[in-house]
Amino acid sequence: MDSDTRDFQPEPVSLSADPLSSQFASLNDLAHELASLQDLANRGSWHSIPYKVRRARSHYLLNTPHDHLIYLAYNVLGLAKLRRFKDVITELDSVDDFDCHHYRYETYLKINPNRSGSVVPFSLRWLHALIPIKSGNYQEGLDRFYTLLDFVPGKLKEKQDHDILIKMWRKREHLGNKEFGVCLDLSKDLVSRGNLDPVLLSKLGYIQMQIGDFGGGKVNRNKALVYLVGKDYVSAVREYEECIERDPMDVVAINNKALCLMYLRALSDSIKVLENSLERVPIVALNETLVVNLCSMYELAYVKHSDIKRTLSNWIARVAPDDFDSSSTRI
Amino acid sequence: MSTTQGTHSLAFRVMRLCRPSFHVEAPLRVDPSDLIVGEDIFDDPIAASRLPPLIDAHVTKLTDTSDLTYRTRFLLQHPSDSFGLTGLLVLPQAFGAIYLGETFCSYISINNSSNFEVRDVTIKAEIQTERQRILLLDTSKSPVESIRAGGRYDFIVEHDVKELGAHTLVCTAVYNDGDGDRKYLPQFFKFIVANPLSVRTKETTYLEACIENHTKINLYMDQVEFEPAQHCSANIVKADEHKSEKDSLSREIFKPPVLIRSGGGIHNYLYQLRSSSNGSAQSNILGKLQITWRTNLGEPGRLQTQQILGTPVTHKEIELCVMEVPSVINLDKPFSVHLNLKNHTERELGPFEVWLSQNDSLDEKAVMINGLQTMELPQLKAFGATDFHLEMNFFFCLLAISHSSSMEMKKSSIRPFSIPAENMLQSFAFD
Repeated sequence: MDSDTRDFQPEPVSLSADPLSSQFASLNDLAHELASLQDLANRGSWHSIPYKVRRARSHYLLNTPHDHLIYLAYNVLGLAKLRRFKDVITELDSVDDFDCHHYRYETYLKINPNRSGSVVPFSLRWLHALIPIKSGNYQEGLDRFYTLLDFVPGKLKEKQDHDILIKMWRKREHLGNKEFGVCLDLSKDLVSRGNLDPVLLSKLGYIQMQIGDFGGGKVNRNKALVYLVGKDYVSAVREYEECIERDPMDVVAINNKALCLMYLRALSDSIKVLENSLERVPIVALNETLVVNLCSMYELAYVKHSDIKRTLSNWIARVAPDDFDSSSTRI
Repeated sequence: MSTTQGTHSLAFRVMRLCRPSFHVEAPLRVDPSDLIVGEDIFDDPIAASRLPPLIDAHVTKLTDTSDLTYRTRFLLQHPSDSFGLTGLLVLPQAFGAIYLGETFCSYISINNSSNFEVRDVTIKAEIQTERQRILLLDTSKSPVESIRAGGRYDFIVEHDVKELGAHTLVCTAVYNDGDGDRKYLPQFFKFIVANPLSVRTKETTYLEACIENHTKINLYMDQVEFEPAQHCSANIVKADEHKSEKDSLSREIFKPPVLIRSGGGIHNYLYQLRSSSNGSAQSNILGKLQITWRTNLGEPGRLQTQQILGTPVTHKEIELCVMEVPSVINLDKPFSVHLNLKNHTERELGPFEVWLSQNDSLDEKAVMINGLQTMELPQLKAFGATDFHLEMNFFFCLLAISHSSSMEMKKSSIRPFSIPAENMLQSFAFD
């Protein structure tokens, strides 16, 4: 039974929360058994997380508002990854207004005598906006995102003097959604404020190329993609091979190289590149998009493609994390 | 040669090969400091200094290349990872819609799924439309010698789509199968070509073209150009840029794209037309629009409109307007009409003669106008105008029928009130 996050009493200050001793020696200092939660998430064992959360709540192991909110965040994230959207919405509905006083450090001076501000992990705010979009309620999600977009610059203004804080909130600004128009506007805003991070510019190049404007995309980096868009697949393959030599785990280069080979009529080679990557670096190669591409290639290459796809699907079931979308095998 | 649809050793597999797209999906990935602590914890200076190293060491594990976890599926490595645009490309997942002006491109693979080699394979690929049959590939001059058991022969075909409606990709193979029988394998892949755009124009001396997108995806307008007819010139008319777009840093990177939304989105283009000053400008053909658009990853499409026609009354050289007429006119009392004559050309015109002419109808009229016979106006310079007044007079008249059998009122538009002496009509004025 999930306990209401409001109905707890602050416990007396325990040793681990004693401000005089180190509060940041390990993850478990931040929240109850956080290291174990984090480990489950790393390994992709998302099925285990709702179970662990339920258990911690029913055994009253969560004693601080911090504990409750962090467990809630992991639970929401886990359920969303498993695409259990009804359960996610139930969880999110149990949350009070994020800005209420229950969720502020200064309400609990006994635990955190020197701290003020919001206890809410930012990812909860973000998930609160994202989940409606993922579960089909696009308009609601978009409204919530616009509220969030108002919230963040407000925080930026507040934290003018603190470098690290600016960094945090700037990062949070990136969490926009898929609307390319909005995305371009936001990115334009970031760039005009001097954020000329090469990775960001590269991403902007992608966006421009996706909508077809590759005159604009050339300004940004990524030579291989420029070749590909110009239909010079041979040069694109060469560039991607250079990327792979520099970083053998570059799954984007591997995947895109395979596609270029296909546009060069070398379907067998395309398939080999993708199969090889799954064998060699499964942790990064096991990606839904790569699997979709591989299965599309199987369908083209084999009249009786269901056999080979089933073999792949069985392997995936053994190795993949819980949140892997198995519909990507197109079976 | 056996043409029965018995078991074939060979089979065609076909995949439309339009450009790939970026896979886009808002990922469920978080920054660790957004998950494991409250959002304002960094306000606390102790936290601000102690937390980042803790996170790096235990959560992000930046330097650990032997990491065998799926943490990259759940943690953001770089803030822009949250865009959901990794750069991974995806093959077209369905045939999709194909539109006039696009290029149809297809990967065709002929597979030997039998246990025996097939030999002497002649392959042909054609597009059949309502009007014609277009050959895309034919290996009959140099047939494929053999395709082993489990083997394939691949090719890619391209065709610029110039017709609407039903199209069929016809793939045929003629081969010797494992038993030595000569077999014929036809396979048909149908698709429909639709119209991507409609262009509506409205014209006076300006041409407004409204382009509407009928496809299921947004179209990036690469080039929309109006090619005027020989006797015209055209300039595109654009709105002034908003001053915020004049920022030079973002300008270099962002030219605001013209994107027309899928399923009925529109964009208008405005052209100012001028006719060049040669006298044979009687044609009402204005010109045509050349449109190039792009879809994902620059996939191009192009169309040209038919000749756009101007309204039958082509741009006037001179224009005569009534500017003002008194609101009350008394019979038999002269009144003044204020007129304006405008020269719309680039050259001097004139001098002019202005007169009041009757309309062509022979119907009897109860009230007629008379006035100044003619008025001369001097030359007008290019694009010049002049105001003048004509004095007129309304009067009643009764047409008398003369005894002559032929009643004639000379209708010449030059001298409408000239009455032939013989067939005089009596005109009476009544107050």
